[in-house]
Amino acid sequence: MKQLRKWSRILHRDIGFFFIGTTILYGLSGIALNHLSDWNPNYTVELKHFKTLINLEKTADTKSNVLKLLDEVDKKENYKKHYYPNPNNIKIFLKGGSSITVNVTNGKGTTEYLKRRAVFYEANFLHYNPNKIWTWFSDAFSASLILFAITSFFMVKGKYGIKGRGGIYTLIGILIPLLFLLYFI
Amino acid sequence: MKKIIFFLAISLSIIACKTESKKTEDSKPQIESNQDAPFLALGEFDIKAGDFVNKEVKIQGIVDHVCKHSGKKLLVVTDDGRVHITSDTRFNDALTGSEIALTGIVLEDRIDESYCLQMEEDNIKSHTEGASNEEQFETKKQHIQQYRDQMKAENTDHISNYSLKYVSHIEIE
Repeated sequence: MKQLRKWSRILHRDIGFFFIGTTILYGLSGIALNHLSDWNPNYTVELKHFKTLINLEKTADTKSNVLKLLDEVDKKENYKKHYYPNPNNIKIFLKGGSSITVNVTNGKGTTEYLKRRAVFYEANFLHYNPNKIWTWFSDAFSASLILFAITSFFMVKGKYGIKGRGGIYTLIGILIPLLFLLYFI
Repeated sequence: MKKIIFFLAISLSIIACKTESKKTEDSKPQIESNQDAPFLALGEFDIKAGDFVNKEVKIQGIVDHVCKHSGKKLLVVTDDGRVHITSDTRFNDALTGSEIALTGIVLEDRIDESYCLQMEEDNIKSHTEGASNEEQFETKKQHIQQYRDQMKAENTDHISNYSLKYVSHIEIE
């Protein structure tokens, strides 16, 4: 038992240190992605309204007129593509994911600027499991979480251990998801 | 301790300052699997797609939207039409605004009365559980009613919605 406790502490401590960064990363992106209906976790969105006199109706000069508009409201170098979702509106795509929508009848338009959220964008990118190498690493992380749970049984003895307060916390922690499942399934 | 804090600060700064991400596999031009697949213009996609269910077709258009939730759905558009694309792998959101030529397998989604009833049930459940707000609930409700109105107007028992299962794409400059 002494050896088991010793090795539980060593593994829990050293692997815990190793995965501190990954734990924070998954924690941050976990909260961010839990609230997808409340916010855009990857980008900040800024809307700017404007009015233009440039003719953006579908003609042979549309592209040069679109570039003129970009000179007014953004930079023409940012132009990517455009199309007409319906006869009254043109949508212009800009580099970086931003876009401009203009009502070609009254000239009223809105620019939607997207800007990556620092740290969150990268954390969410990794959370979504971008490739096989990361799959291996994140599997190792997940396995280590199970190991942390198992080693925690043996790390502390006495009234704060699994036979005392630790056991009560463990039971409560298991009961909460079980009650949730009983109620919602 | 000072060294650790310094290292963490530097790491966070590098991540925060980095604005351009490396391209993922999804953004690289890919070789089309079936060169002989017929081309469908998006303007006639809904009319002709029924003839190609479970078969490969080619389309061309601008990526209007990459799904922010899953990253596995695209909306490809032209002035004349639009089509939804689904994939098993995530798309790079840098595809937004790019013109692409895409090969995909035509999928048919049949909407009938039992589908509408299921949608209604899901909508009520989602609203009761707080997963959707009042506006989202009402929008979905109207959407379901539109399906019913359309079926009634067309005197049919179902509506066919066509989409594409992603196979490959190339970006067009």
